[in-house]
Amino acid sequence: MDTSLSPPEFCSSCNIRILNNEAYCQNCGFPLLASEKEQNDFLLNRDIAQIDLEGYNLKIERVRNWFYYLAGLFIVIGIIVLLTNKDNEDILALVIPQFILAILFLILGSYSMKKPLACIVSGLSLYIIVQILNAIQNPILIAKGFIFKIIIIGVLIRGIKSAIEIEKIRKEHPSI
Amino acid sequence: MNYLTEKEEISNKEEISNYKVCINCGKLIKLNSNFCIHCGKNQKIDFQPNSLTKISLIKLAALFYGLTLIICLISKLVPQFDTLPWSITIDFSLAVISIIFFSLNWKENKELLKWKNFSIIKLFTFVGIAIICSSIVNYTVGWLNIVIYNKNDEYSELLRSSYFGIFILIFFNAIIPAIFEELGFRGYLLSNLLKITEVDQAVYVSSFLFAIIHLSFISLFWLIPFALLLGFTRIKEKTIWYGVIFHFTFNCTSEILSLIKH
Repeated sequence: MDTSLSPPEFCSSCNIRILNNEAYCQNCGFPLLASEKEQNDFLLNRDIAQIDLEGYNLKIERVRNWFYYLAGLFIVIGIIVLLTNKDNEDILALVIPQFILAILFLILGSYSMKKPLACIVSGLSLYIIVQILNAIQNPILIAKGFIFKIIIIGVLIRGIKSAIEIEKIRKEHPSI
Repeated sequence: MNYLTEKEEISNKEEISNYKVCINCGKLIKLNSNFCIHCGKNQKIDFQPNSLTKISLIKLAALFYGLTLIICLISKLVPQFDTLPWSITIDFSLAVISIIFFSLNWKENKELLKWKNFSIIKLFTFVGIAIICSSIVNYTVGWLNIVIYNKNDEYSELLRSSYFGIFILIFFNAIIPAIFEELGFRGYLLSNLLKITEVDQAVYVSSFLFAIIHLSFISLFWLIPFALLLGFTRIKEKTIWYGVIFHFTFNCTSEILSLIKH
């Protein structure tokens, strides 16, 4: 590394202003005084991380959509229960939990891009608890929509892995 | 020498509090720097476990949560376990699980059992807030139970008929949950999640998991804010004891109000 060189005025990677005594950009870590090859390697790694991040974000978007589908499903179930149990005096006890679940999955979905790990772990736990409670009340419900349930759990587990990778990339490349 | 000279120069020009020491080379860098301008070290990824370690930590947290969940489901949904000896056994089992998982990383977690910077004013503030919150929640939940479930609070006639029974109720509904839920959720689980993700996400996850394990969707409206308050208090104060006192006061107030009602 040739330290006699003076750094450029702006970082070639993230474009923030550079001060005279900086060997590395304080925002993105770009090696300002390194050889051209080292600088190109840095930019290449950053671009690869950017592509990886986009891929993981797509998986999180998929999870977000599943949260919205689940919210819709609970609303539909709530409406069906409401219409078929009009004369039941415990109608509120049957319907309100469905709408609370719908609201929770809507909230988790809307925050899942912002706080992916928190939302997906919470969503997965909530979904599993709901399925266990349903199965205890009526064991036949375990088999109902079994493949659908497995797909949801699989998507959410993959979502957790993607959220961990996103956090790792954001820590390694804070400027992306 | 260089470090001191640089420090002196900076203190003449700007506030030293705007600077921090690089985790790699020890030189001063701006407080908001992501990377050291001298050695290029990323200031955010030191001591961070890799993805595989994080997955292992998640699996361990899932084991803790799964075991706690199974016991909670059994105690809540199996009528045969709705007796005093079984309630004691279940509380004992939950306490053992919390202690075991908390002890897994005893070296780090024991710091949470210390009560540094104890403040009597803070303590009384938490007690006051807990009494007010518990009173509001108690009346709201009572009202919701009547409106939604057409029922009043169920309460053990046998236990409230004697002073010993009241002591048992407060011991198992206020003291035990306050200590061991805090040890498990704000002690073990939150510390575990802090190694996996950033502070706010760790607090959100632990709070949501704590809230839904109570298996009452109607109660989520107060359980989530309650758990968030305890989580952020544990982070800010670096001890579980304010949380334990808050949790105990909250539960104890609830028990006393139920006793008065009956």
